[in-house]
Amino acid sequence: MTSLLRPKLSGGNSNRRSALPSREALYWIAPACAVIIFIFGYSIVNLITQSLRYDGDWVGFENFSIVISDPLFLVALRHNLFLLSAVPILVLIAFILAITLFETRRGMRFYRSAVFLPYILPIPVVAVIFGQIYQLNGVLNTFLSSIGLDFLIQDWLGDPDIALGTMGSVIIWKEVGFGVILMLAHLISLPTETYEAAKLDGAGFWRTHFVITRPAIKSTLIFYAVIESITMVSWVFNYVYVMSNGLGGPGNATMVSELYIYRMAFQNNAPELAAAASVFLFAITLILLVAFFKIQRRSISKTFRS
Amino acid sequence: MKLNKSAIVYSAVIALLLTACSSSSEDSASDSFPTEDLTLNISWWGEQEAPGAQKWLEESIALYQEKHPNVTINHTLQTTDGLLPAFEAAAAAQAGPDIQYFWGAIYSQQPGWDGHIVPISDYISKDELSNYINAEVESGFQGKIWTAPWYVNPSFPLLVRKDILAANGLAVPSTWNDLMKVCDVLSAKKITTLAGGVKDGWFGGWIYSVLGGQSLDSQADVIDAVVGNSKFTDPKHAEWWSKLEESRDRKCWNNDINSLELYQAQQRFVDGKAAMTFTAGPDAPNFVKKAGGDEKVTIIAMPAWTDGPLAGKMGTTSHTFGITKWSKYPQVAADFIKFTHTTERLNAWYATTGSMPADSRFDVSQVTSASTKALFESALNGAPYIESFIPAQLDADAIFKNVQLLLAGKVNATQAAADTQAIMERLRISDRKLVENFTAWSK
Repeated sequence: MTSLLRPKLSGGNSNRRSALPSREALYWIAPACAVIIFIFGYSIVNLITQSLRYDGDWVGFENFSIVISDPLFLVALRHNLFLLSAVPILVLIAFILAITLFETRRGMRFYRSAVFLPYILPIPVVAVIFGQIYQLNGVLNTFLSSIGLDFLIQDWLGDPDIALGTMGSVIIWKEVGFGVILMLAHLISLPTETYEAAKLDGAGFWRTHFVITRPAIKSTLIFYAVIESITMVSWVFNYVYVMSNGLGGPGNATMVSELYIYRMAFQNNAPELAAAASVFLFAITLILLVAFFKIQRRSISKTFRS
Repeated sequence: MKLNKSAIVYSAVIALLLTACSSSSEDSASDSFPTEDLTLNISWWGEQEAPGAQKWLEESIALYQEKHPNVTINHTLQTTDGLLPAFEAAAAAQAGPDIQYFWGAIYSQQPGWDGHIVPISDYISKDELSNYINAEVESGFQGKIWTAPWYVNPSFPLLVRKDILAANGLAVPSTWNDLMKVCDVLSAKKITTLAGGVKDGWFGGWIYSVLGGQSLDSQADVIDAVVGNSKFTDPKHAEWWSKLEESRDRKCWNNDINSLELYQAQQRFVDGKAAMTFTAGPDAPNFVKKAGGDEKVTIIAMPAWTDGPLAGKMGTTSHTFGITKWSKYPQVAADFIKFTHTTERLNAWYATTGSMPADSRFDVSQVTSASTKALFESALNGAPYIESFIPAQLDADAIFKNVQLLLAGKVNATQAAADTQAIMERLRISDRKLVENFTAWSK
């Protein structure tokens, strides 16, 4: 079974040399590298320089000290962490939907489109619609009331205790389609013999997918988890901005680090503090990326060893 | 004697030269009016609270361009949430509009302190500016005036539906206790007394002004608390939170106040689903019309809960135009702004928007509606609009936030005041020029 899934990769020291790009390849990728270095390199250097200055004067780490001691920034980071904790739920939902669609014989195209549709909708549109749905006297509560579930009625976005969770549910609804499509694409490419053999051995639905599918698409699962982790840390601005009218409220209930940066830069006229907060966020995102590559490498070498 | 004569002649020549050099800046502006083709860009806001403003502005531009064929003026209407960020982005790039709209006081002071605008008093004479309502109080800074008031925002009138009150055997409240009694009666009948929406924050600032301003003697009290001479937990600054708490407990507000935006909530009043609401002064006459006219609606200041000098008075603030530092033609920009204050343009503003131009030369006698006339007169003798005298960041981070939390029942008045003070102390650290700027402003 593993031989079928084994990636065409070579291991060991002797092959490490072959992993290095050839001189010809370097020529080919040089223009792209130059553009990336110019665009990102310049921005990052500029960002770091700005974070070390105030009003044009060098102030060392003063801006970092102000930002890290700001309770609002810490609240924002905590909220990003809360959203990050939704990633396993997101991956699980996407995985279950993907295998369900994989097993569905009739109408798969329709269901696949239906699941993917939220992902292609513009975030501001989604946020505005859900903003209306989740009002205290909005569609959701009216529906709950009409079916006798009044005890479930909440001020979904107006109650500081649940507003972030509500926002998280919208993000999950929107992002899950991307995971489903990724996983389905991988599932379709898997050899069918493995599943036929499992069926002959009497494996049920859950066992088949837990034992065969999960390890087989592990690289996709990890990739999706990392992409969504980065989303939760540094890509939820649009949702929060539109659904809380740029305030991160009620109170600070939905304040996230990106919104903090935006407000510092464009509302509070403190670009140097925004720059310092951005450096923090950049570092966190970088850690996530490094972790991803390490996990991916370990996963590939494990697959190879087995 | 001969020497004396020469001295007199020389003195006269020097005096003449000095007079010429120090003649009003408007004169120098008109002397050096460019003749080449040029374009000015205006970034503005206001249609949202003074419907018709866009029509008036386009008309003004057309008339000005007719007068000065070499000048082309473009304008961009900004959204409420986008006005400040768009300007900050332009300031960071040192490129963008020549004429920028600013709300009054701190919103026109801050860009001046940051060096993003030039004082309007460098281009328009003090004599002319003395007619612009609130120019000195809100835009004045150490002898200069940053921006030119455009229209007045009586802040913030309480619109009262007399028909709803009468149908429930109630009279228009004149004191805080009267208002609370109205809340008791109407909430028992499941009628909203005060319609509001704080999701987008702005309404929180309004509430602060109409309640918090009542216990103050002047705007200097607020600046004192900003720079640290007093605290936002002192009774003078904190008591209004307990009044807001009382209004929450007496069920004065709509129950979904935290999930509605300001304008959504105001619609409840127009639809007859709420007895009262607050609105921007320039929009008040339109609300009166939409809700059935003077027979059904009256406009009052927030009923007084204390007997301070500002209690029971309407606040007044002027929204303004400033000239950006990067504008290549500041004198033309100033000339256009001055043109908008000609008698014909002032009257056209009132005719088009129904609101009050920020110019004391405007003839109020042409206003026929009793409620509108009362509104304009109250603005002319109004109290300072205190929300505009605190840092914008304190407004958003402390006032907007704590009004939301208090109305959601998550904090009490004492906690809200303590949090406001804590955020103010924090701001003095993060905004390293705040104390210096506010201290200079207060002088």
